[in-house]
Amino acid sequence: MIGLVAVSHSRALAEAAVHLALQMGGETPPTVRVAAGGPDDDLGTDAVAIAAAIDEADSGDGVLVLMDLGSAILSAETALEFVAAPERVRLSPAPFVEGLVAAVVTAAGGGDLETVARECATAAAAKARQLGADAEGSASGVGDTGVAPAGEALSFEAVVTNPSGLHARPAAAFVKAASRHDAEVRIADLETGADEVSGRSLLALMALGIRQGSRVRVRASGPEAEAALAELRALIDEGFGER
Amino acid sequence: MSGSVSTDDLVAWIRAFHEAVQQQKDELTRLDSEIGDADHGSNMARGLDAVVAKLDPVPASPADLFKTVGMTLVSTVGGASGPLYGTFFLRMGPALAAGGQIDADALGAALRAGVDGVVARGKAELGDKTMIDALSPAVDAWDTAAHEGPATAARAAAEAAARGRDATEPLVARKGRASYLGERSAGHLDPGATSATLLLQALSDTLAAAE
Repeated sequence: MIGLVAVSHSRALAEAAVHLALQMGGETPPTVRVAAGGPDDDLGTDAVAIAAAIDEADSGDGVLVLMDLGSAILSAETALEFVAAPERVRLSPAPFVEGLVAAVVTAAGGGDLETVARECATAAAAKARQLGADAEGSASGVGDTGVAPAGEALSFEAVVTNPSGLHARPAAAFVKAASRHDAEVRIADLETGADEVSGRSLLALMALGIRQGSRVRVRASGPEAEAALAELRALIDEGFGER
Repeated sequence: MSGSVSTDDLVAWIRAFHEAVQQQKDELTRLDSEIGDADHGSNMARGLDAVVAKLDPVPASPADLFKTVGMTLVSTVGGASGPLYGTFFLRMGPALAAGGQIDADALGAALRAGVDGVVARGKAELGDKTMIDALSPAVDAWDTAAHEGPATAARAAAEAAARGRDATEPLVARKGRASYLGERSAGHLDPGATSATLLLQALSDTLAAAE
């Protein structure tokens, strides 16, 4: 049976994803090794550790590697220089969790390396199909039951005081807070006039690149709009705890 | 210096790079906070701390030295700079003939092998607002000046790297985290091109001092 390696910036993320995937692995799941986390047990990836995990997972039938993002990919590619048998290692383009689940199931079912790799590679397209029209709706910022008229949305404006603006950490805090409430939250950078984005999308929010001193407008609609705005306003006013 | 570079010179280069990154750690992180994830300075400093801890006793050969530096960086930096700088040094070692004299041509060829490795690993091209924008003109300048000896070639390379770094400021990033920002990445120096310039400047300073 082929082996699998889960490469992530976060050990906790990788272990949880593997745990989830192995729930579907049945009685005889494939060997899955984790190579995750940085040198000080913080977030990061390590090409040498990835190479060791690949060698451990390889029974001779080859290894498929699932990665999260960014340096996980660069480190996995670098690791191929250190493994015993790089010719039977494949790096999967699949999204991490979906890919792991598909890989465990397909490998446990006896698929060879090429079969499992091919199956995993379709994971993103499968998810898009499953979402169907809903995906298009949320992409344009429109809920599946229609847009709440702008007049019904509550909003506030505030100035971002964090020295590095809304970089990864505060952006993640914002997204987490926005997502906790039953409300549609949108945020716009009034400094740049860029298109308003969903307050629940970390990538969209980070892509706005909101900087220190920028005035933002946060809008919310839905049953918990008021509570969501109160929490988000407090977060911004407190500099996301960075001061 | 007579025109050849010793293992001790190369060790001194790595130490000087470590020192420069330590001194510029906060500035590198500040640059990275503008267009990335605010960890370039601390990641590089951590990786180079681990590298310097392995330089005593001094590695037996330049090939051993660069292998040690490269393997240490890929496993201790944590971010994308780890595999990129690691690959740079891992490619440099085999490009230097074992036991041979290292003259300006040989070191230039090794640097170019390193840069080619970074290009292959990161799939970045000139103008993508990455460390390649400093490294690529640097090795070209090295080759042009190599007949005047390694110290002169290194100075030319460091100057070319600095110009390449400065030229990243107006660019829109097309690789890495900064590329998520699109047009908003313009107006900032690239952190990777900045640390790569420190690498070449450290080599220039080291070879000038050894002369």
